[in-house]
Amino acid sequence: MRDKLIIGRMIPTGSRVHGLDPRAKITAMLLFTAALILSNGWPQLAVLAALSLVVLAATKVPFKTYLRTLRPMRWLILFVFLFQLFAGAGAEAAAGSGVVWTWGPISLSGAGLSAALLAVARMVLLIVFTAMLTFTTTPSMLGRGIEGMLKPISRGGTGAERFSLMLRLALRFIPALLEEAQTILKAQAARGADYEEMNVRQKARLLMSLLVPVTVGAFRRAEELTTSLEARGYRIGAPRTSYRQLLWRGADTRFTVLFALLPIGALLIRLIS
Amino acid sequence: MSGMNHTDSSDPNGGIAERERETVVELRDVDYTYQAGGPFAAAALHGVNLEIGRGMLIGIAGGTGSGKSTLLQLLNGLLLPTGGSVRVLDHTLLPGMKKPKLNALRRRIGLSFQFPEQHLFEDTVEKDLMFGPLNFGLPREEARARAAAALRSMGLGEELLSRHPLSLSGGQMRKVAIATVLAAGPEILMLDEPTATLDSAARRELIALLNRLCREEGRTILMVTHRVEELLEVADRWIVMHEGRAVFCGDADELADRADELSAWGLAVPEQLRCWSEWTARLPQLAALPLPRTPEAMARVIAEAVRGSRAKPAASDALDERIDSQERGHDLCATN
Repeated sequence: MRDKLIIGRMIPTGSRVHGLDPRAKITAMLLFTAALILSNGWPQLAVLAALSLVVLAATKVPFKTYLRTLRPMRWLILFVFLFQLFAGAGAEAAAGSGVVWTWGPISLSGAGLSAALLAVARMVLLIVFTAMLTFTTTPSMLGRGIEGMLKPISRGGTGAERFSLMLRLALRFIPALLEEAQTILKAQAARGADYEEMNVRQKARLLMSLLVPVTVGAFRRAEELTTSLEARGYRIGAPRTSYRQLLWRGADTRFTVLFALLPIGALLIRLIS
Repeated sequence: MSGMNHTDSSDPNGGIAERERETVVELRDVDYTYQAGGPFAAAALHGVNLEIGRGMLIGIAGGTGSGKSTLLQLLNGLLLPTGGSVRVLDHTLLPGMKKPKLNALRRRIGLSFQFPEQHLFEDTVEKDLMFGPLNFGLPREEARARAAAALRSMGLGEELLSRHPLSLSGGQMRKVAIATVLAAGPEILMLDEPTATLDSAARRELIALLNRLCREEGRTILMVTHRVEELLEVADRWIVMHEGRAVFCGDADELADRADELSAWGLAVPEQLRCWSEWTARLPQLAALPLPRTPEAMARVIAEAVRGSRAKPAASDALDERIDSQERGHDLCATN
């Protein structure tokens, strides 16, 4: 299970993207998402895809690895595709003109297909770009980045610190819980209930039986973690310095500006057309 | 202690000749890489070759991250090898094979995992104990009887049956976890650091139980430990894992001969072995003898050897002093 879910873990390659300030990368991520939402045509999406390809190549993480992040999402992607095709933008487009094929209440058109593919392409770009962020940034740097970005907004209160601690712990818990679920699955397999040998109904029942021990385990871990944080003198709002200071360089500015152009461009194209 | 009696016998395996034993586990050039082919690939085993005979009690030692746990999970098919071949009983596991139906194998080879609290998942101890037997096709009544029997054999009372597994103490949880495996009645029993959370009395009890299961019921036992001393008395064979390789395979005598390499393999040299190597260095006639398996037996052997050498005038005063404390029967290794 864990080897299937590879998003959320840093892959050290020492590339220039790894060295960027996390704040720059998070900002770029937000801008990229905004541009994705604003673009409603293939030309805009092609520009976004080209730019993300350049960034992905710069991370030096093999392209295959990015493709692997899509695999756990394949059913969701298929669902989005079908939904858009038959009920969402596709249906709207089909209602207009150019119906190619009808079957009962379902109708297909070239425009509908294009709209559904567009939705899928957006989703794929979003997933891959998010993967880029987590492959090049450790969870703690992500947390620090978010903390740094929220600090000006929270005006000296402890909101930013709380939020970033929460986020960091949540990120830490995702692999921990997966691991715990996997351990229990292994224990069950060793005692004759192998998940991979079961039919869908047995699988569902087995997964339900995981809920209680994994939840109990999560609470136990959370409690131990709180105690351990307190035992090591962690206090919200205490004055705290960092071993590695976040440093904003010229490259960070250039990276952010490049990504800032994307939603602006998308908005302009939208306004013109 | 039972070990007192067989110090001089050269065959600790109860008289069955080595070559007559049926091989139940055979590993040939086994490699295992976690997340092979992915960005987080991590090799855990390299070219491991092993053979294990039926009815043996095997100690598997090694430092953390040496591949001990991976080895056990390969044997019951939880992991498939990424290179070489694993043969267990009448099943052969090969790299890249379509995952076979393994319940027939897993009924016969039980695995008790390292952290009991992560492996008990039902809401009562009884359900957890019955989980294996039911999956292996036993009727409910028999499964219930097996559950109670397994709990008893671990020295726990039946009042625990209705308790929630996670409400037990650490030691009880460990014993219940082992009982869940025993309940299915496996021919081969694998235990991953079963003594880690037990106190010393419970540890001795558990080892005695494993020894009984092995000698009286003929089960093959594989026990992972990083404390060599606790299994020195009963283990027929030792496998030492280091950085994913099986660097040692042999009995306690051979292990004693290579005691000085243990720390390089990430293991603490047991007091008993340190003591023995010191004495064999001082009294060469001891070196020819097999390693006495218990401290008591060792004390006796050393005392006899010392008495023999005291007859000659060569013994030094320092040695005499040692003999005196030795004959009072304590602190064999206090000087070291």
